[in-house]
Amino acid sequence: MESVMTVQETALVYLLSYCGAIGLILLGIFAMTMYQHLIRIILGLMLLEAGVNLFLITVGFRANAVAPILVEAQTSAAMVDPIPQALVLTAIVIGVGVQALALALVIKTYKAYGTLDTKELAQKIAEESGTHVIDDIPVSLPVPVPSTRQMVEEKSA
Amino acid sequence: MNGIWLVALPLLGAFLLPIVYRQHTIVGYWTGPFILLINFAIALGLWHGIANGPQIIAMGGFSAPLGIIFYVDKLALLFVIAVVLGTLVLWLGKERGKVQEETLLLLIVAGGCGLALSGDLFNIYVFYEIVALASYGLAASKGSGAGYGASLRFLILGALGSSLLLLGIALIYAVTGTLNLAHLAELAPQMLNGSTGLVAFALILIGLGVKAEVFPVNTWVPEVYATAPARVSALLGGIVSKLALLVVLRLLVLIYDDTSAYLLLLNLGVLGVLTGELAALRATDLRQVLAYSSIGQLGLVAIAFSIPGSAGVIAGIALALHHALVKPALFMLTPAWGGHLKRLVGAAQVSMPGALLFLVLALSLIGIPPLPGFWAKFLLVTGALGTTENVAWYQMAIAVVLIATVIKTAYFMRIARLMFQGQSREKPVSAPHSRELAPALTLVGLLLVSVLTVGPISKSLEAVASEASDRKAYIKNTLPVWDKSFPALSVK
Repeated sequence: MESVMTVQETALVYLLSYCGAIGLILLGIFAMTMYQHLIRIILGLMLLEAGVNLFLITVGFRANAVAPILVEAQTSAAMVDPIPQALVLTAIVIGVGVQALALALVIKTYKAYGTLDTKELAQKIAEESGTHVIDDIPVSLPVPVPSTRQMVEEKSA
Repeated sequence: MNGIWLVALPLLGAFLLPIVYRQHTIVGYWTGPFILLINFAIALGLWHGIANGPQIIAMGGFSAPLGIIFYVDKLALLFVIAVVLGTLVLWLGKERGKVQEETLLLLIVAGGCGLALSGDLFNIYVFYEIVALASYGLAASKGSGAGYGASLRFLILGALGSSLLLLGIALIYAVTGTLNLAHLAELAPQMLNGSTGLVAFALILIGLGVKAEVFPVNTWVPEVYATAPARVSALLGGIVSKLALLVVLRLLVLIYDDTSAYLLLLNLGVLGVLTGELAALRATDLRQVLAYSSIGQLGLVAIAFSIPGSAGVIAGIALALHHALVKPALFMLTPAWGGHLKRLVGAAQVSMPGALLFLVLALSLIGIPPLPGFWAKFLLVTGALGTTENVAWYQMAIAVVLIATVIKTAYFMRIARLMFQGQSREKPVSAPHSRELAPALTLVGLLLVSVLTVGPISKSLEAVASEASDRKAYIKNTLPVWDKSFPALSVK
């Protein structure tokens, strides 16, 4: 066994990891909600996923512990929790898949509209489908015109 | 038959499908429906098998709480049957040779069955991701630019939600040290009733809420449903969205019993109903009207599930199943009748069956007796009236539900009026293709059958609900050796 971590060092590890995880998560959410550039949004997603993964790893961390791999029935004094590590492994793989799909869709969208700006994109899509855009959320036109016109016609008739 | 096949078969089929297609196109075309039929048979067999009590399937022989389990009870099987049967019906009259779409459909079925059956929190996350990724792909499957844009927006929101879901699960694990739902239910009264537990629930609710079209995270709904193929909108809006709410219900019943988590879901549901119905009133495209109305309907289901006890569960299941029959059928009319509403003038003369279909379905959604929509809403209101705690909140919810019904009547009857008007000067819409009418008519047939068998259905729903809302039985069935004689195990 090499050097043993003191309580202060352990506390520092926890503090840094948790602060890092929370910081990454907040940064990621901020980037995903505030930016209009698709690539930046996807980078924000990566930050968010990294933050969540760091959080999970920190949950399983224990000071002065070894990886829980038992050889010949030896029992170690302290092992880190293996479950969060398994979870993070899965989460990373899923995250990579999602990011790859996102980038593929970005390429397809860019080829169709020639822009990566979400606001411009929403406007172009709305123009194509014939709906209005208010605050970059496409909404529909107010009450259909023909029905009111025909009601007037019926009344006059 | 083992319940594991419900997940394994469609998963296997999804990845074999491209290879089969390369060899024999005809065989490939029938592979999907064949697998779904087998799944349906297995589910029906299991339904009879669990008459005496739920079945627990331990993966790899490791029993809970160490291993991952599938908890096969009536509630889970009911949703499994809904997913499998719904996909099967939507397969009727499907165009041939769309390998990618069929692969993704089978993946959704596999993930959906897993989501309903799984008794492990992280397992739920993985199945949720399978369903989510498959639905991003399906949302873009039309291959149009608008479809890619809508799918991308869906993906960004969905990925944000999934990350928050994972964060919520991580929080729960950090507090309790377990992911098994039964074990969590055992530990929750001591460990998760505080603010940390509620934060975790809020994160999970927002995460699952992306699929379930819960209020703040449903901005993708109108775009995706307006651009995706009708069958995909029907599947996502009608059936898949309920599965996410099923997971929320499980968490509420098992882990967040006696907490204010119910009120959180109630308020999000109320906001969903209000915003959805008001937006539907203003929408001018039939597809968007249906999309917004589906937000409203899922808000109703959320309100129902937020009523504690079996009264809420039974109302929620009734509303969910009713919507799962009606909304897909309505979406099947949109390929011909999408676009601006004014195009629908004189649609009844073009296709009387289509217009009558629309009328019946709309009346059922509004809740006109004797159509099943009425009974579902009736159960919801009586359930909400029967609450003993937070009565004021539930009375507010009842008021909102009734107002929403009026709004719903307004916009559906406006559309129906347009349809039954005389010919307009503009070119009338074409009649819905029989390809699209086939699944719609099947669903309406099921709806009418349910009208005639309201008695037996409500009896069996009561059995499902009372079993599903029994927290102690879930713990006892999953952890049979769990006893106070193992104090070292019951406290971390």
